[in-house]
Amino acid sequence: MAKIEFRHVSKRFGAVEVIPDMDLVIEDGEFAALLGPSGCGKSTSLFMLAGIYLPSGGELLFDGHLVNEVEARDRNVGIVFQSYALYPHMSVRDNILFPLRFKKTPRDEALARVKAAADLVRVTELLDRRPSELSGGQQQRVALARALVKKPQLLLLDEPLSNLDASLRLSMRTEIKSLHEQLGVTTVLVTHDQIEATTMADRIICMRAGRIEQVGTPDDLYLRPSSLFVAGFIGSPPINLVAGKAEGGTFTADGTRFPVVGASGEITVGLRPEHLRFGEAGFAGRITQIEPMGREILYVVETGMGAVRVLEQGSFVGHTIGEQVKVAFRPENSLVFETKRQKLIVGAHVRTPA
Amino acid sequence: MVASLRGVSQTMATIADELIERRGHAASATRRRTNFVIFLGPAIVLTVLFFIVPVIIDIAVSFTDLGRSLRITAFTTEQYEKVFRTDRRLTQVIGLTFVYVFGTLAIFNVTFGLILAITTTAIRNVSGSFFRGVWLLPRMSPSVLYILLWLWAVSPTEAGLVNQVLMQAFGLDAPLDLLTSAPIALIIISNGFIGASMGMIIFTAAIRGIPEHLFHAAAVDGAGTFATIRFITLPALRWPISFVTIYQTLSLLVSFEYILLLTKGGPFYDTTVYALYVYRRAFESGQYAYGAALALFLIVIGMVVALIGWRFFDMERLLQRPRIEVH
Amino acid sequence: MVTQAAPAMTMAPSEPEIDWDSLASRARLARRTRAVVLYAFLIAVSLPIILPYFWLVTIAFSARTGVAETAVLWRSMAVVVPVIVGFWLAAALARNRRQLWFGFAAVAAVAVVAFALLVGPDLHLGNFIFLWEPDFASVVRSRVGEVKGAVQFPNVWHAFGNSILIAGAQTAIVVTVASLAAYYLSRFQFPGRSSMLRSLLVLHAFPVLTLIVPMFLMLYWIGLLDTLFGVILVLVAFELPFAIFIMKGFFDAVPWDIEMSALTDGASRRQAFVSVVLPQVRNGILAVAVFTFIRGWEEYIFVFTFLIRNSNWTMSLYMYWVRDDVMGVDYGVVSAVGVFYLVPSLILYMAAQRYLMQMSVGGVKG
Repeated sequence: MAKIEFRHVSKRFGAVEVIPDMDLVIEDGEFAALLGPSGCGKSTSLFMLAGIYLPSGGELLFDGHLVNEVEARDRNVGIVFQSYALYPHMSVRDNILFPLRFKKTPRDEALARVKAAADLVRVTELLDRRPSELSGGQQQRVALARALVKKPQLLLLDEPLSNLDASLRLSMRTEIKSLHEQLGVTTVLVTHDQIEATTMADRIICMRAGRIEQVGTPDDLYLRPSSLFVAGFIGSPPINLVAGKAEGGTFTADGTRFPVVGASGEITVGLRPEHLRFGEAGFAGRITQIEPMGREILYVVETGMGAVRVLEQGSFVGHTIGEQVKVAFRPENSLVFETKRQKLIVGAHVRTPA
Repeated sequence: MVASLRGVSQTMATIADELIERRGHAASATRRRTNFVIFLGPAIVLTVLFFIVPVIIDIAVSFTDLGRSLRITAFTTEQYEKVFRTDRRLTQVIGLTFVYVFGTLAIFNVTFGLILAITTTAIRNVSGSFFRGVWLLPRMSPSVLYILLWLWAVSPTEAGLVNQVLMQAFGLDAPLDLLTSAPIALIIISNGFIGASMGMIIFTAAIRGIPEHLFHAAAVDGAGTFATIRFITLPALRWPISFVTIYQTLSLLVSFEYILLLTKGGPFYDTTVYALYVYRRAFESGQYAYGAALALFLIVIGMVVALIGWRFFDMERLLQRPRIEVH
Repeated sequence: MVTQAAPAMTMAPSEPEIDWDSLASRARLARRTRAVVLYAFLIAVSLPIILPYFWLVTIAFSARTGVAETAVLWRSMAVVVPVIVGFWLAAALARNRRQLWFGFAAVAAVAVVAFALLVGPDLHLGNFIFLWEPDFASVVRSRVGEVKGAVQFPNVWHAFGNSILIAGAQTAIVVTVASLAAYYLSRFQFPGRSSMLRSLLVLHAFPVLTLIVPMFLMLYWIGLLDTLFGVILVLVAFELPFAIFIMKGFFDAVPWDIEMSALTDGASRRQAFVSVVLPQVRNGILAVAVFTFIRGWEEYIFVFTFLIRNSNWTMSLYMYWVRDDVMGVDYGVVSAVGVFYLVPSLILYMAAQRYLMQMSVGGVKG
């Protein structure tokens, strides 16, 4: 197992600077997720950890040792690629065996370890097949087995679930999570899917344009997103953001008013759809769209300050399009940001963050 | 009454419709034919005239005694007797052809082409394209000029480039005459310099086509340079390698341009490969009928190899049905 | 595995403590060695190719006595090699785009000065005498004294014209006929289509050089031997299957939708072909045209065999006879002819490089 540290790490490709300056610590045995939109540098960071890319500057440390220039094969990391990258001309057995070939593991022991790794991810009966004969989910498992067979000190997952269909994604999520709990290996997951990150990881590193926006537990990111970007990125359906002015505990935006705590001046208020509800009081609006989603129903309400999404529990559609409604919420559930710097002033349920 | 009238008028209408339709069919059949003639006609005429007819002529002439006078006086099988029995030189020619074809193929067209593709894709892209560009120069040069450079380079005088390098850098005493002392090596190398670039281009494209993640996965799994080549690169080049092997075998077998220009097949018959032998028999000795008989074997080999070449093409894509039916 | 894996990883008492620093320095060394070996190898194998071409150019622009001089070659190599190394260093050391351009400019400036000083004084255009003096052979001979067999050279522009005529006519016919045929094969359903496509596949790989004997006889019998027209016809036919094959690939790639919408808009198939499909395959036509033109320009063996009179000479024959006659006498003029003959080929190749690459690789299964 290893503790990972980025110290002022930067990465340039020619004239393009992908990561300007990155500082990050991932603790031994932790399951961390690098989350962000495509092109934010999360995969680049992962490939630097793997030894596929060399950092352009700064220090990359494994357990306090500088590994900037150490070759990939000496780092003892396992990696699962988005496309799985199984060797197409080798059987599943040879694929899983491949990393052991170069470790001079005795043949018997190597085969036993292949068997054990295959058992672990339940692909034992597929050992003699070719990758092209496997389904996406099976390829995924084989790729996991190949990454785990060498007993890596660090497991890297690059968008491992994005090529799977929805139901398979759900079960693989649980499986990877429990694998991590069993093996305790330090794991870094790269994903653009916030649900993947929040369900699997202990800690989420939210990235944007090569910079770390926020590091924290899934709860931190949901309740206390440090910036408008993180607030917009976490949560589904996405948060409602309303820009306006606060004065003396009252927020005003395009004529709509409601109370706000602990801030004044130009602010943006974030209201999560699941925290809004229809009621007798609140700001007025007209329902323009209804999207039943099974357990929940999403209403789009046109109000004085623009369209607002309201999520209601249950499967019963109790409103009609065109209906005039009032939308209410609890002030302590709202997030308050400073509009100019896009930074959080007041988080949900809590005091001002330190 | 009314009903029957209506019936009649209906029948009339159907007949009229059918007539129109039939006329339409006739028109579309004509259009079909004219389209065929306009689009495919010229190509078919030229192909028949210059591929099929020559093959027939070749077969016919090989059973005559057509010689320098370009007049046929008798029909005979003596040309084939010559091929199989009396022409002693032929054995030597065929042996040399084997050495030349497989020597060039093994050393340059496949092996060296592969080395060039692997090395130029392992360095930075700009530098890689530069070196590939250099190796394409011989292919881009007209044959006469390319061989001219060879003749000058191996010139037996002290002015020859090879001799200058050998004498000044390696302290050789007297200039070498490579054209008489090592002619076979020369024809292999001069053809190989051109042949290597074909393999290089095709292998480079194939290597570029390998998903980058496979290389990354191999690096993480502990494979070094040579293990990566062995386990990732080479397996992906199986098809391209057999493609290059088959097509370059054929092209080496039938081409003689560079040898003709470089050594004229000499000294004596030392570098006369089979295809050049056909040419020399026909155009130097004027034994056109014998040349035709010899050429027939090459033609047959050419067809066989071209048929083998089917394996390399995606027949389904080639034959995919047109999606518009009208003409 | 689960229960064994974790302890196995942590126990491993036999495994010594990993020395990360030595791993890093080993990696650094391996990386550098690899780069040095790769570049050294590629430079070493490329020199035998670069050198003769460079020699050709230096002789063409500098030889005065007619002897194969190499002094200028070595001197210009002394400029060129450091310059290339300089460019590489500049590219490797530059930290940003501005530094890169600055480095390139500096190296280029030094190169120009060095070149002007070392090689400049020797440069002249005298060897290109053949361009303006049709009877250059006598001039050259008078310069070095009497020499062997006198070939009567035609005016170089005459040979040039013949080559352009052959290559141009061949290109025009091949492009037209191949586009028509390829379109029909790609887009029309007709009985016998699949067998026709299969024979096309065979023909495009068939080695036409094997037909040279019967072709010679055929041309002789129909009276087209030693005529440019005969040669053009033969070359057209030989290029045709390959050109059709390539063009069919380009036509296959044109989306059906635009052709269907042209038909619903009232066009006939012929009109759709001309006004909608043809513009879509412009790249293909360009590629086939350039390729065919180069083949015609460089053609040697068929013109050498089928054309006899020197008024029918093409550039390849002109080059051949100049080298054969003046060989060993005036390297300068031969080189100059060589440069004159080579440059159009190279320019065309460079211009169409992208398409030609596609063509040579197309069709092969991955």
